[in-house]
Amino acid sequence: MESSRKQRWQQLQSVFEPGFKQMLLVSILLHVLLPVLYYSPFFPKREIEKPPVYRVNLVNKIVKNPQAGRPEAAPVKKKPAIKPKPKPAVKPKPIPPKPKPVPKPKPVPKPKSVPKAEPIKKKPAVKPKPKIQAPSKKAKDTQADAIKAMQAKRDRQALIAGYKDELIELTEQPKSPITGAPVGMMDGKGDEAGVSAIAFIQEFIQQQWNFSKYQAVGNPEAEAKLFYNTDGTLLHYKFIKKSGNSAFDESLIRAIAKSRQLPQSLPESMEFHIFFNLKDMLDNP
Amino acid sequence: MKYFKVSFFIIMTLCLLCSVTFAARIEISSPGEQTIPLAMTRLLPMGVGGVQSAIETEFQQVLLGDLELSGLFDMTDPASFLSDADKLGLRRTEIDFYQWRMLGAEALIKGGYSVASGKLTIELRLFDVITQRLLTGRRYVGKLTDVRKIAHTFADQILKSLTGEKGPFSTKIAYISKRTGRKELYMMDVDGYKPIRMTDHRSIVLNPDFSPTRKELIFTSYKKGNPDLYRKEIYTGRESRLSLKQGLNIGGRYSPDGREIALTLSKDKNSEIYLLGTDGTIHRRLTNHYAIDVDPSWNPKGNKIAFVSDRRGNPNIFIVDVHTLKVTRLTYEGKYNATPAWSPKGDRIAYSRMDNGVFNVFTIREDGTDERQLTFGKGSKEHPRWSPDGRFLIYSNDLNGGEKSIWIMRADGTGAKKISAAGGNDSHPAWSDRW
Amino acid sequence: MQKLTITGLVIFFALSLLVSGCAKKPAGDTSEVKETTQVEMQQEQPAEIMDDKVEDKPFDAAAAARAAERAAAKGLERIHFDFDQYILTDAAKSILVSNAGLLRAAAAVKVLIEGHCDERGSDEYNLALGEKRALATKNYLVSLGVAAERMNIISYGEEMPIDAARTKEAWAKNRRANFKVKR
Repeated sequence: MESSRKQRWQQLQSVFEPGFKQMLLVSILLHVLLPVLYYSPFFPKREIEKPPVYRVNLVNKIVKNPQAGRPEAAPVKKKPAIKPKPKPAVKPKPIPPKPKPVPKPKPVPKPKSVPKAEPIKKKPAVKPKPKIQAPSKKAKDTQADAIKAMQAKRDRQALIAGYKDELIELTEQPKSPITGAPVGMMDGKGDEAGVSAIAFIQEFIQQQWNFSKYQAVGNPEAEAKLFYNTDGTLLHYKFIKKSGNSAFDESLIRAIAKSRQLPQSLPESMEFHIFFNLKDMLDNP
Repeated sequence: MKYFKVSFFIIMTLCLLCSVTFAARIEISSPGEQTIPLAMTRLLPMGVGGVQSAIETEFQQVLLGDLELSGLFDMTDPASFLSDADKLGLRRTEIDFYQWRMLGAEALIKGGYSVASGKLTIELRLFDVITQRLLTGRRYVGKLTDVRKIAHTFADQILKSLTGEKGPFSTKIAYISKRTGRKELYMMDVDGYKPIRMTDHRSIVLNPDFSPTRKELIFTSYKKGNPDLYRKEIYTGRESRLSLKQGLNIGGRYSPDGREIALTLSKDKNSEIYLLGTDGTIHRRLTNHYAIDVDPSWNPKGNKIAFVSDRRGNPNIFIVDVHTLKVTRLTYEGKYNATPAWSPKGDRIAYSRMDNGVFNVFTIREDGTDERQLTFGKGSKEHPRWSPDGRFLIYSNDLNGGEKSIWIMRADGTGAKKISAAGGNDSHPAWSDRW
Repeated sequence: MQKLTITGLVIFFALSLLVSGCAKKPAGDTSEVKETTQVEMQQEQPAEIMDDKVEDKPFDAAAAARAAERAAAKGLERIHFDFDQYILTDAAKSILVSNAGLLRAAAAVKVLIEGHCDERGSDEYNLALGEKRALATKNYLVSLGVAAERMNIISYGEEMPIDAARTKEAWAKNRRANFKVKR
């Protein structure tokens, strides 16, 4: 077998020219070199690396608290500070003794981080449960009356607390119109602490950028890198690519100058590679 | 083994290249604000001459009119101005940019004037508030009556420093007015100020066009009975008949280099487009069709001419190549498309379309795509012509009870306003080149 | 036929006026303006004129020509067109037939045919359209036996409306070809 294969191989080789092997190698190398070269920095190909698409709200400016602009949301900010505190005080107690009230604490942690709308959704679902459970247990079990009385008391307390919360919420706290809205977005819950730093930077710098379509010549594009520290202070920036249109480039310099200090801190010092163009403006004249 | 090594090496290289980390990528595909907040302070008196509030007011009004027409700016309310507005300091270091930035202004105009022995001096500055730089600074010296001219010239300069191209505000507009009862040729500023009658033919004068190279106009007049093409030097007033062929000699348009004139002649019993030399001799016949061919308009390169023809039934816009004489059809929509005007930028052709007896201004690309209607509503809007920078369009509009007047708007159809005074029945506007 | 007899009558009437006019004023070749005033004066007393002999041969050629001229000047009717059209309508054609009769009768008369348009449409296009109208009119008259050299054409486009109103009636009136007699 071995030898026959070898023979065949030799036969095959004899068919080809003597330099064939090398040529084949060179050819393969060249073919492989092609993608290597293609992915090398010698061939810039920005269109392949699509920048992430963010929802840009051109109507509403970015605000420190995305909910602040909504009138019904205005009072929310004061209450959440008060609300989460009483709840933990009441609820942590029920948790250790029995697993039943466990459903209740669940909604509690959420309001902490996301103080606004979450509780509304969860509470109606939770409240009916204790009501049904309490009477059924009283009828069946005679032994643990004391415990149950305690339980019922706690439940009631919790219920009352829940009702109070609900009352407060109903009177003062609005529901978010879009339940599934992401944290920090216009329709979402929570304040700027939850905003994605990238989305925030994008909207903020965009708002600082003033450029009139009557200044536009052709389809200018520019790239800049901005380096921010955790305080949201611009450490330095550099243009990777200028558009060559001085009006456009200068408008960007102005926008960056206005973005020297962000109104909020960043989770870490960050570098942003920003592509500026007028696609959205020129497409909708 | 050898192959393995090689391929391993290659794969490693690829992995290395791919794993280069990138900074957070953000695309911003439109500015947050599409106007430039501009603060314009009043002219302040410098040194001798004292306060001349008439000059201040006129200057302010003219410059503001131009800047508003440009559509570039969002004027900061002067009522909110702080102390720096009343300081004359024109040097960069003398200005409290912080104040202006607080007001949200990104650009700032400051200026001063002085009058001495009949001479008016106006010094003007445009600053970038954000980067605290001087964008443009100018000193104008002129007669006391030159206030408007200075304001227009500085407006041109402002546009140049903010867009890279000068504004058209210090140019002229020629038009036909019936103020005397007869149609005569007039000329006015871009804001409609100072209309001057240029002809006294007591006949019918039509369709003027400016020479791009000389201070000269051509137009058609029935002065000698036949509609002949005339040439008039603007400053000397010298006038001559350029083309007096039997029949129509109408719609004369200078080529962009000013060496030829395209016009409609009907010397052979049918209206056709011809090229004339500036001496009036026929260089070339461009169309040859029994239909009506009128209204030539050059492209900025000077190798194509848009014109109106009813060779397919209704009046539509066609384009003829000056060299090959190949004719292509441009407009297909609508039943009556006329008076084409090729943008000096070359990208679009403006024309007016009649629908239900009312003309409106449209633009279209040279290849016939992207047709856009710019004007709407009542009033027939005819004879669109471009400003020399392609930023604006002028046209006649008979909105006021059938009396035509000259209107101006931005090239996207916004900011339309009337510029010619009432009572003239003004039509056939033409925009001069840079004056 | 009817038209022709009417034309004949008009010529006859004008001729008779002229004959009497010339009898009173032998120096017939004064300025045109004077002549016409004279004629108007005479028109007021038609009874007298009828007394003269109609078949007065010696004056005939020149006088008849002048009479025909005048008849042409008065009798040449304008014709009208449809919107954005220069094709002659049937009504226009019948008017032109009678006009051609007048022009044939007055061989010395030269006529300027003016083409006009209504205000709708672009000015330059209408100038060309007016010219087409004038030309169509001229060509039809030529086909009816009027010498082409006697007719000139000019277009005024929409520049000279006879009714400035913006109504269908006014526009219809303005879309026309006029005749102006000149010598």
